[in-house]
Amino acid sequence: MNAPKSDKTHICLGAFAGAHGVKGDAKIKTFTETPKGIADYGPVTTEDGARTFTLSIVKVLSDGFVIARAPELKSREDAQALKAARLYVDRAALPAPDEDEFYLDDLVGLKAFDENGAPLGEVRAVYNFGAGDLLELGDIPDVKGVRLVPFTKEAVPAVDINAGRVTVSRAFLDLEDEPVLKNEDGQLVSNDVDVDLDAMRQEDS
Amino acid sequence: MPRSVWKGPFVDRYLLKKAEESQEGKHKGGIKSWSRRSTILPQFVGLTFNVYNGQKFIPVHVTEDMVGHKFGEFSPTRSYYGHGADKKAKRK
Repeated sequence: MNAPKSDKTHICLGAFAGAHGVKGDAKIKTFTETPKGIADYGPVTTEDGARTFTLSIVKVLSDGFVIARAPELKSREDAQALKAARLYVDRAALPAPDEDEFYLDDLVGLKAFDENGAPLGEVRAVYNFGAGDLLELGDIPDVKGVRLVPFTKEAVPAVDINAGRVTVSRAFLDLEDEPVLKNEDGQLVSNDVDVDLDAMRQEDS
Repeated sequence: MPRSVWKGPFVDRYLLKKAEESQEGKHKGGIKSWSRRSTILPQFVGLTFNVYNGQKFIPVHVTEDMVGHKFGEFSPTRSYYGHGADKKAKRK
């Protein structure tokens, strides 16, 4: 799926997915932290800013979909015609984040530098796979592909959104390769943990 | 069928060795690991492992909640970029 690229002044919060019922309710796919969040930041606009909708949530569905109502949508046909239209909100409408919290859209695109000021590419994406937030750095000089660094104070000591730069500790970039699964003699290591089965059986008996 | 309790959790031996080395100050940028099948043990809490997903290494900072899970669970092999919207990242 191609993610709509939000610019720094407008943030994409969702997209119309079709009509629901006969009274002008719309089904909307939300991209927000919680599905109801799409109605939390005031009126939303279409990509070209031509139409504005004041959404109120009627029902939350599964998989990030909601049924929403807006006075600007008078009939089912209105809602159906807007299918696939993306909904944006002004960046200024989002509340200021807490200390050491950053909106993902603010982080993406920042230039990365090491502790000595040498360039380390730029932040391409921010992930969280269940073990903390990660920054994906791309376009690193002399490095093929991308590198991921944990978004911690140790690995990323400084973030300056206004200056458009982050400082990344070079130690966390994993720029050198290591031999794979081999011990000091160059042989493949055993996969099992040492377990004294006889001792365990004696304990059981 | 679950793994028999008497066997104990499975961990690749080299990972235990690297974890011990990390406690002594080595592997500052994280322990590089291809062992997605290894179980996360209590002695790994606080360490960072770079777990291979077939393409790149995903940093996995181990916390208490992760004990008993496998490393591979935190290093997905398929990527979905998603949308930023109002989502936030917290620097810990």
